[in-house]
Amino acid sequence: MEQIAQQIINWLALSSIYALLAIGFSLLFGVINVIQFSHGDVALTAPFIAMAVFASLGALLPGADLVVALIVAIFVVGVLGIVLERFLIRRFRTAPPMMALVATVALGIVLRELIRILYPDGSNPHPFPQLVPGSALSFGDVSLSWLVVAMMAVTGLLVAVLTWFLYRTGLGLRIRAVSQDIEMARMLAINPNLVFRVTFFVASVTGAVAGLFYASYVGLMRFDLGIIAGLLGFSAAVIGGLGNMAGAIIGSVVLAALDTLVQAVFPDGAAYRLVVAFVLVVLVLVFRPAGLLGRTVVEKV
Amino acid sequence: MSVELCGVSTAYGGVPMLREIDLTVADGEIVCVLGPNGAGKSTLFKTVAGLITPVAGTVTIMDTDVATTGTERIARLGVGFVPEGRRLFPGLTVADNIRLGHEAVRPDGADLPARLTAIGQLFPRVIERLGQAAGTLSGGEQAMVALARALIGEPKFVVMDEPSLGLSPKLIREYFDILRAIHREGRTILLIEQNAEMALSVASRGYVLARGRIVAADHAEALRASSVVRSLYFS
Repeated sequence: MEQIAQQIINWLALSSIYALLAIGFSLLFGVINVIQFSHGDVALTAPFIAMAVFASLGALLPGADLVVALIVAIFVVGVLGIVLERFLIRRFRTAPPMMALVATVALGIVLRELIRILYPDGSNPHPFPQLVPGSALSFGDVSLSWLVVAMMAVTGLLVAVLTWFLYRTGLGLRIRAVSQDIEMARMLAINPNLVFRVTFFVASVTGAVAGLFYASYVGLMRFDLGIIAGLLGFSAAVIGGLGNMAGAIIGSVVLAALDTLVQAVFPDGAAYRLVVAFVLVVLVLVFRPAGLLGRTVVEKV
Repeated sequence: MSVELCGVSTAYGGVPMLREIDLTVADGEIVCVLGPNGAGKSTLFKTVAGLITPVAGTVTIMDTDVATTGTERIARLGVGFVPEGRRLFPGLTVADNIRLGHEAVRPDGADLPARLTAIGQLFPRVIERLGQAAGTLSGGEQAMVALARALIGEPKFVVMDEPSLGLSPKLIREYFDILRAIHREGRTILLIEQNAEMALSVASRGYVLARGRIVAADHAEALRASSVVRSLYFS
């Protein structure tokens, strides 16, 4: 019983991280029509930036708050997204998908290698602090940490804010219009480049939050964690239906459930998490090519 | 002059599409461009909208060069577009589609409720469907929403591409009655259309496009009687 309760807590934690990553993949694909395969690597730069900023702040202002470093990291990753869109990904928006795929995979490698080279002792794992320490609830050996509570609360809040932004604001309306017909949007005085910049900023910020939670949840940051995070986030988005925010969340919940189950039931189950994730992706693509919530059912974005 | 094309040529992948097009629409006119399938009508629409950049010649709308202005700034000059196939945003509601049309010309969006009331008199069925996703409307309803979206911001000049395509004869008559009504309000219209009979019934002048070239240009009555139009349409 205690083990089941603990696995449910793990499932909720992983669902939150995957959902934040998958929403970014879906937003980017829905609006720009490019699968940004380096999105996980962009997201996982956040913990390194946060710790670098924290160390610098600590040298300048003893006792500086980690929260400031986290906010700076989230903002910097958002700006990084804008820069990548402007100078690289925009060029592939109308190019054959293979070109965008190769370019974004290559970009991911560049980001990982830059972290490895530029961050002090970047080849080795570094501890990452638990962002919200302590236990909110515990009975027996089961513990619900404040970190997991914070992850779920922040994910819920971000999903609510994103939904409000996309469906209740003028800019959100323009993003949805561009995602459906960019030429018609241009004829209606909508600047698609502004929409792309905003979308990349929002997706990268959401990814940065996921990256910080991911590093905090596993207790370390490593230069190559971005590829695993990216593959899991992308899988969740495909399972739910790429380009669809509700699908991204549902895909994340399903993938996290399987991930938790595999790790709980099979010895050395963690080694098989990507196997399971991609078997599920293949099955979904074979039997429901548009994902669990296909585009025909729910509006793209 | 609402629109002026001077020696405009376009190409797609090196293949010539439009060839040395000269075309004008004066303020307050309805001018039609006729042509069979493959004549280059939609290329002409996209060129006027700035979506295709000419390889030669210039397109000027309201004395503004389209190539340097960019598509997304043309609507602000007071231009409404009705593209082929309506191109409503299918996942957005009718209200959102129309709101985008209004804000395209009037970015402050201040008089939208008043304009909705006014447009409701021309398009009562559009107002009944405001909360519905545009992709779920019938073809006729979509055509009316596309026209309402182009007109809600009270543009001075409206460019239309094949608006009658796919409509029933009754709806086509209704549609062209609305065109006459908005022309009486003083709007300039460039009507790119395959339905020569209906287009010539509302236009004062017309051009005939064939294989990317203007092969005839004259007053509507003269075009109706011309051998070129007869050979393309009425023979």
